[in-house]
Amino acid sequence: MSYRYQDEMTPPPPERASEVAVTRFEHVYEVDPALMTEHVTQQTFPNWDTLRLVRSRADHLAWMHAHFADKVVSGEELLDDLDR
Amino acid sequence: MPDPEKRFAEEWRDAAYNCFSSGHKFCREVCPVMQVTRNESWSPTAFHANVVAMEQGSLEVSDVAADYVNCTGCGACELRCPNSLFTGDFYRFRTRTVDLVKGVRSLAVRQGVHQPGWQRWNELTAERTHEPVADGVSQERVRDWAQGLDLTVGGETILFVDCEAAFYRPSVPRSVARVLELAGYKFGLMNEQWCCGGPAAEMGYEDQARRFAEHNLADWRAAGVRRVLVLDPHDYITFTEDYPKYFGESFDIEVVLVVELLAALIREGRLVPHLPVERTVTYHDPCRLNKRKGIWQEPREVLRAIPGLTFHDVDRVSQWSYCSGAGGGLAVEKPELTAKISEMRMGKAAELGVDTLVTACPWAERPLTAAGEARSIGVVDLHELLAESLGVAP
Ligand code: SF4
Ligand code: SF4
Repeated sequence: MSYRYQDEMTPPPPERASEVAVTRFEHVYEVDPALMTEHVTQQTFPNWDTLRLVRSRADHLAWMHAHFADKVVSGEELLDDLDR
Repeated sequence: MPDPEKRFAEEWRDAAYNCFSSGHKFCREVCPVMQVTRNESWSPTAFHANVVAMEQGSLEVSDVAADYVNCTGCGACELRCPNSLFTGDFYRFRTRTVDLVKGVRSLAVRQGVHQPGWQRWNELTAERTHEPVADGVSQERVRDWAQGLDLTVGGETILFVDCEAAFYRPSVPRSVARVLELAGYKFGLMNEQWCCGGPAAEMGYEDQARRFAEHNLADWRAAGVRRVLVLDPHDYITFTEDYPKYFGESFDIEVVLVVELLAALIREGRLVPHLPVERTVTYHDPCRLNKRKGIWQEPREVLRAIPGLTFHDVDRVSQWSYCSGAGGGLAVEKPELTAKISEMRMGKAAELGVDTLVTACPWAERPLTAAGEARSIGVVDLHELLAESLGVAP
């Protein structure tokens, strides 16, 4: 609930998830940092930032699912709408 | 190309190419400036593309500095960008348009390219050590809002009150103080409070921003402060993003956002809102809380705890919520653009048939109140609304 530099800048220790990925937070996968040192280097990522992205994505997908189209509208119907 | 530009382009080139090569422009549709101007030179995409051009030697910062005024720093583009939202955490590399805009602004200032409104604002802030938000106020009066509240100075926990709230909206900090007192939460005030330095950093006056930060941190240390309570989302960003950048590991102060604290106190039953507030409201997410920090649930928790309120939430991905137009210094340099964005925001509130728009940001309140007048929609601060329901008048 509050910001403390030490807490934010100390990520949980990584667990290996595959040959190229690790996890630090539950269900959050990350490219093995060792693979990101040459062409694109990783940014400084405080913990809140990782969690914010994950939660934002969930929020985004929840909205998409809530608004998922449940019927197919034909092109003809759309054109009719325009004519009216 | 002059050296500073080259160094800057080198620093930002990876992100710029990342954007340039994908170029999907999802960001455009959530950008408040784009929504009201449709000016492609002021889109997040353009802000990145310019870096590519800078690296190629095709432009200098003086050619584009004025374009970078057109950003409120809301962060919506970052959270709409697939390079943040869907891969940012995976690669630990996300789109940082807000930092880029701040970076270009500060590069411009370092090269002597100024925007007249910002230059004047920062000169006045340097002179007074607080922002020029209202006439006839001065450093000596920065604690006037607390008159009669019997608050001490210093202590382990202090409340930092931003310039806008301290001088222009004193009922907001007064409400916060009364509510915390009611919950038995102990806190004091700062000894000599200067501007947090955030606006200077946003407008590109980085040296000034650091000077203010150093002063405030030294003041906290001298008074034995361990924890700073913050009611203004802009200060929250400054203390949790700028100060850590300036001071690194030695930044040993805990920063607590008041809205989060209040939500927790309500959850624990230490605060029980009981007086009904008969209003039909919607909530305006301050960009700095929602999009920039991912804090959108706690303010809603506070709202839902207030009896009598009818709350209509926006039907939108919460993180793409609308901006007031007040952030990032836009209101100082282009007030007419801020007004347009505020009007658009109010239009969305009007569609919900509410009589009140609840905010949690002192800076958003001024332009939103102006826009609300035309539609007979009032603007009320969340902390004040809670104080009302708890029966503690500001
Ligand atoms: S900022 Fe992101 S969404 Fe916008 S154009 Fe660039 S890559 Fe696409
Ligand atoms: S931070 Fe906000 S105002 Fe600035 S470019 Fe991004 S969406 Fe537009």
